[in-house]
Amino acid sequence: MDKFKRSAIILSLIEKLEARESFCGETHIQKGVYFLQELVSVDSGFGFILYKHGPFSFDLSDELRAMRANKFLSLVPTPPYGACLMQEDMSNNLRNDYSEFLSGYDRQIEFVVEEIGNKGVVYLEKLSTALYVTKERQDDNVESRGTYMHTLKPHITVLEAHKFLKIVDDLLIASNNI
Amino acid sequence: MTKKNHEICDPIHTFIRLNSEERRVVDSRPLQRLRNINQLALTYLVYPGATHKRFDHSLGVMELAGRVFDVVTNQANLHEQLRDIIPEKDELKKWRHILRIAALCHDIGHLPFSHSAENELFKKENHEDITVKIIQNDFMKELWDSIKLDSDDIVKLAVKPDKIPNIKLNNWEALLSEIIIGNVFGVDRMDYLLRDSYYTGVVSGKFDHYRLIDTIRILPKQYEGSDEPALGVEEGGLRCAEGLLLARYFMFSQVYFHPIRRIYDLHLRDFLRLMFSRGYPVEIDEYLKITDNEILVEIFNALRNNKDRRHKEANKILNRKHYKLLDSITLDDQKKKTDALNVIFGEASKRFGEDNLKRDEEEKGGGAEDFPVLTRTGRIVSSVSHSNVLREIPFAQAKYIFASREIINDAKKWLEKNREELLKDNNKSIH
Repeated sequence: MDKFKRSAIILSLIEKLEARESFCGETHIQKGVYFLQELVSVDSGFGFILYKHGPFSFDLSDELRAMRANKFLSLVPTPPYGACLMQEDMSNNLRNDYSEFLSGYDRQIEFVVEEIGNKGVVYLEKLSTALYVTKERQDDNVESRGTYMHTLKPHITVLEAHKFLKIVDDLLIASNNI
Repeated sequence: MTKKNHEICDPIHTFIRLNSEERRVVDSRPLQRLRNINQLALTYLVYPGATHKRFDHSLGVMELAGRVFDVVTNQANLHEQLRDIIPEKDELKKWRHILRIAALCHDIGHLPFSHSAENELFKKENHEDITVKIIQNDFMKELWDSIKLDSDDIVKLAVKPDKIPNIKLNNWEALLSEIIIGNVFGVDRMDYLLRDSYYTGVVSGKFDHYRLIDTIRILPKQYEGSDEPALGVEEGGLRCAEGLLLARYFMFSQVYFHPIRRIYDLHLRDFLRLMFSRGYPVEIDEYLKITDNEILVEIFNALRNNKDRRHKEANKILNRKHYKLLDSITLDDQKKKTDALNVIFGEASKRFGEDNLKRDEEEKGGGAEDFPVLTRTGRIVSSVSHSNVLREIPFAQAKYIFASREIINDAKKWLEKNREELLKDNNKSIH
């Protein structure tokens, strides 16, 4: 996928989050793109590693910076919360240019936004880490994955891990219909 | 008695202090190779003072990494909520050692002339992959064993985490990695801005790093509803952080994105592509044999021999016959046509031939950064909410088209006549 197509998908994700009046900081976009790649096979080609808030892509972080440089996005303070990424005028041009391309991904993006919109950063960290663990250990049951998740992120209890792994299992089933 | 602590004079940090174990790493072959790799490639053809080397920078990064580590792990500076993240005394001492060594080694995989030709010369690798390979190489492993360090720990902190296969960093390791490579308070960036500013003579790249480092803290990003630890600053250091980010913008717009510096990079890239047409050696022993010196000798040899297929490229570099700037794309141009650079380059290529033109694109130099700020009243807030200056820091962009001297005048006339027309019709749908 070329860089303009990747940018168009990110902008569409943000547009749909904004439509739900969801907070849209970098963590939301990181997790949104991760879910798009791993849940509904919208592969933007970003490599994710398990980092502080769960799966994180340094390349995506660079891409968001480049999108700010190109005035597709701006970093806007939203006290008392952090800064969110909002669409700039130039984003309309890009989404218009790629409207037909984006229409092919509309349902997938809606599916992800449904899950992450209006959720807090802590919730997203747990949910995305649960997906990361599940992708890494696809054949393991919830208990085994839960123990592993707790090892990776000790501040997430085993019980919490089980809860989020079950949500992820349901999401993976639901995503088959997208 | 054998001396255990050593000092190296440095124009940026006055003294770089190191112990005997660190000195053994400095004396190793991969580190010594960096004495012959220019920090800013051919930038000295534009800024004559810019002849400093990756070696000096590596020492500087080690020095600053130690200073930041000492500040952020000082008991008096720890945030209540995050005291648990700091290891016990002996463990802490060990991590300080690892951090400084990782900082020292963070650039050991660099190609000659630094970043200039990385994408063209490597098939799969990048300089970070090579850095990992060198750190994990047998001859370095002997050194690590003798100073009781684990190469995996060094690798974790020395390169961007996403460049290491199957890596998982815990919060403590992620913070230490941030001390070296972080976007805001990374000491790699601090040192190169200060050092490049000093050697190029571009004074606006300076900032008050003494005060800044004294105010760096590990803080929870409470404003995101999270306990995630991140590097931030006390409010008293916010002006210095603004200074750092402004310095970054100025250095990108004046030095790193200077169009003539960029075109020399492109000519050098073409020369290296011809020189290593059978592939660049990535076997470590061979890799370490090549520095800027070996390449320069080849460039001079190619210049003297007009039958050498690299002669033209050598002439452009050594006789200053570089391509000239034909166009520089602005944000206003992109408002009219999102892909303005490629559209103008494509049409110009059809008219004048692709060999006579070169395109360059880089866009990440500057902008605001979100990091936690500990206010004087004890609240933790977002830097972007708390600083009007940060919000306004622009991005520098390099979106250039260059043309050969043979066609530059005709190309300029053609562009003047056709530019507006080429930038029309942004709403055309792309399938």
